[in-house]
Order: sequence, then C-alpha cells, then structure tokens
Amino acid sequence: MKKILSILIVSAALFSCEEVIDLEVKDGVNQLVVDAWLTDEDKEQSVKLTISQPYFEDAAPKPALGAEVIVYNQDSTAHVFTDPNNDGVYTYKPKAGKFLKENEQVALAVKYENEQYYSLSQLKRVPKIDSIAYEVFSFPIAPPNGGPKDGFLAQFYANDPVGEGDTYLVRSYKNDTLRFKPTDITLAYDAGFSPGSKSDGLMFILPIRQSLNQTLFSDKDKLKVELFSIPTEAYYFLLQLRQESSNGGIFATPLSNIPTNIINLNSKSTKKALGAFFVSKVSTFETVIDKSKARPKQ
Amino acid sequence: MINQFRTIERFYSDNFIKNRFKNYLFKLNVRNTFLSDYKESKYLKMSYFTKPFNFKHFLFFLFVFATANPCNAQTNFTISGKVSDAKNGEGMIGVNVFLKELKIGASTNVYGFYSITAPQGKYTLVVSYIGYNSVSKEYTLDNNQTLNFELTEEGKLLDEVVVTGKREDDNVKNVEMSVNKVEMKTIKKMPAFLGEVDVIRSIQFLPGVSSVGEGSSGFNVRGGGIDQNLVLLDEAPVYNSSHLFGFFSVFNPDVVKDVKLIKGGIPATYGGRVSSILDVRMKEGNSKKPEFSGGLGTIFSRFAYERPFLKEKGSFIVALRRSYIDILAKPFLNSDLKGSRFYFYDFTAKTNYKINDKNTIFLSGYFGRDVFGADFGFNWGNSTTSFRWNHVFNNKLFLNTTVFYSNYDYSLDSDLSNENDQDSFEWKSNILNYSIKPDFNYYLNSKNTISFGGQAIYYTFNPGQATAVSGGQSRSIGLDSKYAMESALYVGNEQKLTDKLTLNYGLRYSFYSYMGPGTVYTFNENTTPGERKAITSTRTSEKGEAIKNYGNLEPRIALNLGINNSTSIKLGYNRLAQYIHLLSNTVASSPLDVWTPSSNNIKPQLSDQVALGLFKNFSENLYESSVEVYYKTLKNQIDYIRNADLLLNPAVEGDLMYGIGRAYGAEFFVKKNKGKLNGWVSYTLARTERKIDGLNNNDWYASRIDKAHNISVVGILDLTKKWSMGTTLSFSSGTPASFPTNKFAWQGIALPHNYTDDRNTYRIPNSHRLDYSATRKNKHALFGKGESEWVFSVYNVYNRKNPFSVYVRQNPDDPSKTEAVKYSVFAAIIPAVTYNFKF
Repeated sequence: MKKILSILIVSAALFSCEEVIDLEVKDGVNQLVVDAWLTDEDKEQSVKLTISQPYFEDAAPKPALGAEVIVYNQDSTAHVFTDPNNDGVYTYKPKAGKFLKENEQVALAVKYENEQYYSLSQLKRVPKIDSIAYEVFSFPIAPPNGGPKDGFLAQFYANDPVGEGDTYLVRSYKNDTLRFKPTDITLAYDAGFSPGSKSDGLMFILPIRQSLNQTLFSDKDKLKVELFSIPTEAYYFLLQLRQESSNGGIFATPLSNIPTNIINLNSKSTKKALGAFFVSKVSTFETVIDKSKARPKQ
Repeated sequence: MINQFRTIERFYSDNFIKNRFKNYLFKLNVRNTFLSDYKESKYLKMSYFTKPFNFKHFLFFLFVFATANPCNAQTNFTISGKVSDAKNGEGMIGVNVFLKELKIGASTNVYGFYSITAPQGKYTLVVSYIGYNSVSKEYTLDNNQTLNFELTEEGKLLDEVVVTGKREDDNVKNVEMSVNKVEMKTIKKMPAFLGEVDVIRSIQFLPGVSSVGEGSSGFNVRGGGIDQNLVLLDEAPVYNSSHLFGFFSVFNPDVVKDVKLIKGGIPATYGGRVSSILDVRMKEGNSKKPEFSGGLGTIFSRFAYERPFLKEKGSFIVALRRSYIDILAKPFLNSDLKGSRFYFYDFTAKTNYKINDKNTIFLSGYFGRDVFGADFGFNWGNSTTSFRWNHVFNNKLFLNTTVFYSNYDYSLDSDLSNENDQDSFEWKSNILNYSIKPDFNYYLNSKNTISFGGQAIYYTFNPGQATAVSGGQSRSIGLDSKYAMESALYVGNEQKLTDKLTLNYGLRYSFYSYMGPGTVYTFNENTTPGERKAITSTRTSEKGEAIKNYGNLEPRIALNLGINNSTSIKLGYNRLAQYIHLLSNTVASSPLDVWTPSSNNIKPQLSDQVALGLFKNFSENLYESSVEVYYKTLKNQIDYIRNADLLLNPAVEGDLMYGIGRAYGAEFFVKKNKGKLNGWVSYTLARTERKIDGLNNNDWYASRIDKAHNISVVGILDLTKKWSMGTTLSFSSGTPASFPTNKFAWQGIALPHNYTDDRNTYRIPNSHRLDYSATRKNKHALFGKGESEWVFSVYNVYNRKNPFSVYVRQNPDDPSKTEAVKYSVFAAIIPAVTYNFKF
C-alpha cells in the first residue's frame, strides 16, 4: 500500500527534494547486538555478535568477542557455536539432518560479559515452490534503479498451506547475487501481506509472486528464489525493520524502536540486548531464463 | 451523573425547572442504562429519531430565559427582515442592524435574517457591514414590521471617501471570541500556490492555525488534530478537505460566499468535534441576473453559471472545477501510459427558492473526486447534499432545518482493465452519514437572542471491503460495517446584561450510541501499554442493538465586558465532545485513513478550553487588534502502537493507545480593515503536548503538531483601479521529530535504535516563505462583455527549501552506512498565471 502511495507521491510532488544533512543527536549506551538467523539446512550456521554504536558513526560495528553461544533443541541437545576467526561470528557446522526439526521450539543462549541472554524461536513449515514462470515485459521508461527497460518479468508459484498464521520471507538471487534491500523486503502473512488479508491457503498473491523483479531479468540470467518460513515475531521484526528503513516523505510514521526477542536472563539487569534470533525452513527454486520459454507480452 | 446535576443546579435555581430537568436527565439515563436490554430495534429507532425533536424540553428552557428577563411595561415592537447584497441578491451574514438612539442592535444570521425589538418611538436604523456602504433610515416604530435591506459594495471607486457606519467595531462589541472571518475578496487576492485560490491554505495565515508541513492535508487549530475540526460545507461535514493528498482544498473559490473559523467560545449550536469549526457557506446564486464566471489556472479550469429563475423568486449556481494536466499530457504519452489517469475534479451546485416571505428552501450539493491510476486504480472523494428550509414563524422566531447526506469514500483496484482474472485486488472503504438538524433563533427582546435546536446523525462506517483473487481463487476480506447514532439537543442565549456586559451561554447535551449489527470485540486490557492487545472475546450484536452509549453535557459560555467604545475584554469557556476518530499514523494524513466510531473500546474525545482576550480598535476602527490566551485540555486522545495495522484489520482497536493532551498559547493579531493597503499580522506562541500510556515513560511530550512560534503577514495593496498586489510571509518553528541515538547491524543492515525510546525530543529546522501575487483587472472579458482579470503569482519567492521532515536512513548504496535527510515538499520557486472572467 505504501508503495502505491509513494508512486503517487513521486508523480505528484514535482517540486520536492531530499537533501542529506548533518544532524547532531545524543549518543545512547552501546548494547550487545545478536544477529542470529538460522536455517535447518546442513550448511554452516552462524550467529554474529556485535556492539551497537552511535548512529552517525561511520566505522564498522565492533565485534563482541569472548562470548559463549549455544543453540538448544527442544530436547535440550546442545549445539556449541565457536568464533574461530575471533571476529564475533560464531559458527557451527551441523551434521546432515541432525540440527533442527520442524515445529520444534529452539533456544539460543548467549553469555557475554557476565550477562546471560536467551531467546526462543520455532521452526515452522514451509511450502514447496512449484515453478518459476516469466513473461516478456517492457517498462514505458527506463527504470530509475538502473535495471533494463526490456526483459522478462518473473514470478514463482507456491501455495500457502491451510491453517492461519504462517509467515514467510522471500529472497531472490540474480546470477548468484543476493538481492535483499532493507527497503523492499518481501514478507508474507499466509498468502497475503498482512493478517487482515485473510489469505490463508491461497496461492501467494501476485505482488508476492512477482517480488523477485527488483530489476527485470535478461535471457540466460540465473534466477534463484528462496522462501523462508519465519516465526510470527520475526515477521513483525522484519516488518518494522523495513518500515524504519523506508520511513521518509509525507506519510512517514513516527520512529519507533524495532522490538527484540533477545532477553536478559536477569530481568533486573540494566544491560539489554538488541537484534533478533529466529529459525527458518527454506524452499528454493532455481532456473535459467530461456527466452524461448517466456510467455508472450500481455 | 451527580456532577452533571451540580452543574445544572448552578445554572438553574428554580426548583420546578430543576425537577423537570432532573427528571428528563434521569429518564434519559435510565433509558441509556437499559437500552441494551431492549431487543426490539423498532423501539430503539423510534426513540432515537424522536428524542432530538422533543420540543417540550425546549419550552422549559425558554421559560427559564424568558422569566429571567422581565419584560418592560412599555409596548415593544419588532422590526425584522433580511439583508442581502444588492449586486447578486445573496443573503449577507453578520451584518449589523442598529438603532442609533438606543444603541441596541442585532446582526444577521447565516441566512441574512435579523430581528430587533424596541419600545415604540422614532429611531434611526443603521445597517452596516465592512466593505459595504451603510444604509441609514429614519423610522417610526409603532407596529411590528418587516424591513429588508440591500447593501452595495463600497470601494468601487477608490478615490471616493465612503462614510461607513459606526458598527465596524464588531470585533470589539460582539461577544464572539476566537473567531476569524476571512472575506473571499481577501482570499482571492492573497498569493496562492500554483495560482489556485485555496480556502484551507488561506486560513493557515490566521492566528492559532497551523499545519504539520507544506502540502499536508487539513489544518490544526490550537493544538488539535486535523480530524478535530468540523469542516462544514453548507452545514454538511466534509471528511477529507483535500485534493491531491493535501495540495489543494476541495472548496471551489467561485462558489464560496463566507468562511468562518471558530477556535474557541464555540456556541452551543455547534458540536461533534473538539477543536474548531470551519463553517463554509456557499453562494446562493445570483438572483438579479444570469452570470457566467470561470477561469483558467495552472492546475484547474473552472466554470460557474448562476442565474435567477421564476421571476427572481429563486436562483441557482452550478460550478465545475477540473484539473487538466492529464488532458494536456495525453498526446505525449506512449501507448503503455495511455491508460494512465491523473485528475481531480469537483462539482458544486446550489439552488434556492423563496416560496413566500416566510419560507425559503435551499438545496446544495458537492461532489468531488481524485482519480489516479495506470494499471491499478485509486480514487477518493467526498460528496455532500444538504437541503434546508428557512421558516420565519413570526418576526421573532426563525427556523432553519437542515437535512444532509455526507459521504467520503475511496477505492483501490489492482487491475483496472480486468486483464487478469486470476489475480486482482479490490478495496473499498467509506464513511456515510445522514442527519437532520433543526435550529431556531428566537429574538426574545432587545437583550436576549435565544438559539435552540438539535441534531441527529446516523453514521455508517465501512472500514474496508476487499476482494482478493490469487491464482483464480477469490477471498473477500470484509470488515464489518459499524453503525452509530449521534444526537444532540442544545439551547443558548446571547444576553445583554448591561451596556457593557454581554453574555452568551448555552448547554448542549450530546448522546451517542454505537450500534449493531456487527461483531463486538473485547480486548485484554491488562496488556502492557504499547503492546498489541489480544482479543479476549467476540460476540455478534443484533441490528439496532445499542452496544455502547455515551452522553456528555457540554456547557458553553462567553462573556464580553466593554471597557470603552473601542476596547473590550472577552472570556470564553467551552466543552466539546467528539465521537468519531480518524485513524492516522502518518505525519500527514493520507486519503486511505479510516474514520472509526467510538465504541466499547474507544471512548469519545473531550476537550475543555478556556480563552481570555483583549480586543481593541484604533483610528476609528481602521485597525483592529486582539490578544488572546487559551488553555485547552483533551481527553481520550488516540495514539498507535509500533507496527500498528490500521487498514483492513478487524482488531484495529487492539493497536490503539490512549492518553490525554493539553495545548496552550497566546495569539496576537492586528488587522487593517480598509484603505489602499490592508491585511494583517499575526503571531502565535503555542505549546501542544500529549501524554499517552506507554509512550515516553508516560510523561508529557511535544505532540507532532507542536510549533512554538507562528508568524504570518498578509498584505493586500490596491494600487490602482487596474492593479492590486498581494503578499504573504510566514514563519513557523520546526515540528518535533524523533531520531535514533544508536545503530545496530542485523544481516548487514544498519538499523536505528533510540536508547531512551523517547519520542519527539528533537526539532526540525524552522520554515519560512514569501509569496507574491499581482492582479490586473480588465474592463472586458471574453467577447467584450463583463470583466476579467489576470492573476500572476510567485510562491516561495526566495526559493527556500522548507523542511517537511527530517529523517534518517541507510545510505541507498550501502545499507550498512547511515545518514540524515531533509525532505522538502516544495523546493522551487513556483510561478503561475491564472485568467478569471465573469460576464
């Protein structure tokens, strides 16, 4: 919806302008940041720990070193993450099929500077991606993001399983380059955008299916789609992450903090962490664009 | 209830009256309490419709007032009639009719009607109005008489010295305070954005009025939100006063006759919003001769036709405005854009017919719409229709009954041309209401003018009906419609206690019922404020069932104490209740925002305002000046949890937070009424705060509309008969903003975080702007007839890039880097030319 409004605003506000300015803000207290998004895949899993910094500081975030990071299955099986390169990236290589199970509750425990943090997440189901189709497409004018004017508009086909409350994230790769811009993260609640849309059990709605097209594809481009199941709190975390990343203009909403699901075990401690921990199952589908297979222009 | 009795007791000491009134309130209360038990909707409906028109109660009120003012033993007679504009026969509002010898008078009501009662005798009757030549008439009053007057506009010849009546000191003498009237004449000479004369933009130059930023929709009055202004077009409320997201207001300047903004001391006649009343009256149509008028502007082209009919017993006006960028652009669009739509228009019509001396009827309508789209469609608009009947019972009792319909709706369609039947999305939403509103003016005697009446409004809220089709499967996402009935009874009296002291006091009782059918939600009220409240139970209510009732007594009082002929002190207090709320979480309101009724979860908003003012005129009323201070408190203000889902969300009430508000300030105003150079300077010093449970540690914080300083200068210079110039200068402090203290990285994305989680602790830079306009009048219009003018305007003369907002973002090329951005809506010098004609 915001998209439609912003398109209209762009066309309406012929006289508007955006300028980067210097702004002085008070610094707050730096906090531990947990960046933990795990999947049930067999590849190496990582948890990144950093320290937050003053908003306008340009330096790279400082790693949080010397922490203990453990992921527990629902049956308390522990998986210890280590920081081999001493750069705050704590990794773990699971054995095939022996990491996370569908529907189970997974816990993350982090011990850092004598504070203990924990977080819970659930591994939810994800539907299979059935296919990818593409059609010949041309923009009336060259798109401002530098993509081609003529090419192929792709969409994936998948169905949300029956049962309300499934939440997803969609990502795509063009020729192995991940396209994950914070301003246009694609989130789905059942087959639609939001809980209000009552789209349970449908095929993902068209704008979600077509969300791969940050730019149009060309012949022989490799296209890969990833559909992640995410827990509900991750849906809201990412929703707000997107909101705060694209929050300008006439219809901006007040800045508000992105919620976290990282909790200090000692509720009386003044040290709170930021970030999020969640676990996903993932479906992928890959194809190479073949112009002879493209649907004709509509 | 006990408190309400106490208030009333102070008002009425007479036991008889008290008991009757008590009885009435008691009955009302009992009825409210048991309403939900009445399952028969028939009873309910009847009681709702009949209650506001139970005139028995009014008679008691009248009785009180009448006995409070024992009549003179002398024989009194009444002169009454109508004052109209000689040029076009339009009834004139607020004209002073004055008996020189007795120094008593009256002003005409919104239909041009006046009534004065005085003892038998010889008098000089003076009829005067700013900008018009006064009429003075020797008159022997020895029976009840109807006297109609026609006034002619002054200043047709600039060099001529016009002797005007004494009553241009209206702002000092009148008990009204916190009221600003802007003449359409003036509005038309003020520089306008893109040359489009705009009522809402013009009133933003008045003291106490501001907006969140250039180009935003609506206006804010004394710390109130845009939904807290009752915008009336011929007595029908307009729910969205903007075209193009707020760039232009919906009122066609060619049909607007009178604009009045009431910011405080709001009389009992008005109710339903807590901050202000913007009362816009449409022209009645020229009752003397047919007239075409119109204009070609940068954005709109306008055309209006008005004429008398049936031997000048009736007249009508029709006016159409349409933007024409799309028509001009069409030849230049290639085939892919051919289907794109981009236009907005409004159609306004009004007719009146004078049945006889005692009865006049009016019918007015407004229909406006904004349409945007290419493959998808998006359109929204207001429509209103009001029918009014003016009835003069006798020379003392005047009745206007208004019946109106008002609707605001929008719809979205993802696939306008229906090319794809497998995937589409359609969404409609609207607020619709019907109302009946009888208003009486009773000119009891020369010291008392009583007004009384009532109103009943039936609302239908349709927050969203959507149909989504995905992969050929269709789902309808229907939010229940919500229904409500708002009714009110009021009585007020303007009483001249002594030569120096005038009072205007009144009482309004508003009664509101949130009605079935629909789903009634209850939420977990023990939720930590700021978190989403979960639904604890739902039930289905029956048609006509009163789910929740609210009633509010709204006392109003205003006082004018004359110090001398040119100075007065005024004091006003009003309480107002508002039962409907605009859910909007964005800086500027968007056309998608949804109105929602008070319910079992949302309580009605209440405001109490006290205002004190000093009014003084100088140099024989050439200059008028005023200083006013006000203090306003607001209850049951709505805010939103983070990530609030306000659209198509059945549990939207779980995403709301509640709190209180306060606003206070001082307004300074100097106006030069006449002469070659006229205009005004205004300065407002103000503070607007909110205190919401779950925000800013439950402390007071600056509201997003808070602006400490607001300065406006409006100057109109009538250079010659041909040329006139207009200039406006405005300055306003920056609005509050929230910025992060820290950033943190998540998946390589830099995200903002405010360690203290405080809102609105920073200010964006100040705004200021200078605009010019010049009008050249031509003797002849098209085809050598009538008159015409060229209007040249320059908006933002010194090219100031005023900030609309300042926000932070990730660097577009590297989301791990952060920066602050100043966003300006108008960052250019914007010149425009408009051609207007009339013949």
